[in-house]
Amino acid sequence: MGVTILQQFPTENRTGPDTIELLSKRIKALGAMQHGNFLVDCETYTSVPQLGHQRTVHVLHNSEQPATVFSILDTGTKTIPLATDGLFDLLMMKMSSFYTSKKQTKAESKGPRFEIGDFCVKLGTITVSSNFKGILVEVEYKPCVVPAMCWDLMKEFLQGFLGFSVPSTPPTYLQNRMQELYTPIDTIHQYLEQFMIYRKSPGIGVRT
Amino acid sequence: MPRIFFIKVGQNYIIIMSAAPGSAMDSLSAALKCNIIPNQEYLLQGSVLDQYVEVLLHRLRGLCDNVDSGPESFHDHELSFALRAQGSGAAPMVLPLRVRRALDSPESPWQLRYVGQQELGDKNRPTVVRSSIDMACSSTIVEFLTELGCRMDFEYIARGYMFRKGRMKITVSKIFKMGNMNTKPGEGVEPISQSYLVELSVLAPTGQDAIAEDMRIFAEQLRPLVQLEKIDYKRLGNMS
Repeated sequence: MGVTILQQFPTENRTGPDTIELLSKRIKALGAMQHGNFLVDCETYTSVPQLGHQRTVHVLHNSEQPATVFSILDTGTKTIPLATDGLFDLLMMKMSSFYTSKKQTKAESKGPRFEIGDFCVKLGTITVSSNFKGILVEVEYKPCVVPAMCWDLMKEFLQGFLGFSVPSTPPTYLQNRMQELYTPIDTIHQYLEQFMIYRKSPGIGVRT
Repeated sequence: MPRIFFIKVGQNYIIIMSAAPGSAMDSLSAALKCNIIPNQEYLLQGSVLDQYVEVLLHRLRGLCDNVDSGPESFHDHELSFALRAQGSGAAPMVLPLRVRRALDSPESPWQLRYVGQQELGDKNRPTVVRSSIDMACSSTIVEFLTELGCRMDFEYIARGYMFRKGRMKITVSKIFKMGNMNTKPGEGVEPISQSYLVELSVLAPTGQDAIAEDMRIFAEQLRPLVQLEKIDYKRLGNMS
């Protein structure tokens, strides 16, 4: 597990599958091999009014860590991450009278997963309650766990196959954590940040 | 790439593999359908006075599986939380949750556990049965539960030994009141009684009632050193 960067890729006038196809071709041309598929999903639960001020629990799964359930509790003033075994999903069902999931908020990023040297590249199709929302590219640089030490290299790699739509500054979530050790929960935070943006976006229609 | 789903059963993992990465909820539903999730706890409890605990430990050493390595010792801190809210009816909704951490192994993951209402059943049922969801978690759990709206009801320290006999787990533990958290483990704590708590339990998927009979037979073998019984908490009156 190394440092991971998430990057939106504009679909412009292409459909979702066309965009994935285009990016797959580009990454394969660089010598990448496809190693299966990946899936990251997020379900959001909100506290019932009897529990006092409103709190939100985001429950995420990442196929890269299949035995773990990641949760992020948002109290409005702070966020608390939690990593647990798979049975946490069962516990959330028990909590259904305290925390209820909003309908139409299930967000997912899924698609092909490529390996190229020290990098792992995932081309994700984002859907929010089955509606296509956009394309999210995940790039992991496996040998390094300190973002500051590999950001420039990763930026160059990203620009190499995504073009200059890649910003020159790291994602906002990472900006304050550039010197810290990167762990899987950091990837989850980035996905949640992106999913929140996509949930608010009006959607791109039915180009799935 | 096959997706691998792990389910922890006692000391072991059941591994389910599927061809494509399905959603975790699909895997969980499949596991629930196959009834392989250990969500029932079969339990018998008893106690032994301090002066006789050595005799019991000696007996357990002889009866249990881990003869060569000896019993495993533990020194845990347990916190009992509950999530409460007024329901639509008159009765308030309560979700009890327990957090446990090993004081003697700070690097180990913490444990989070939901323990449901116990069912005593009729007198032909050899053990108490209660639903249980047990999982490892990160150390942020206490802050997570507190901010989630849970309130801590009580906490204690349990120190003792764990034995295994097949799928059965036997713990012999001394319960201590919480001392000052700043003191070193084992210091500044006061025992709650002059006896040890003895528990015989198995975590199994629903409907494996045969295990309860094995437990009854095993409990028989520990008599008269300790009398393991179905404890009815409701009859303990105002203690809860």
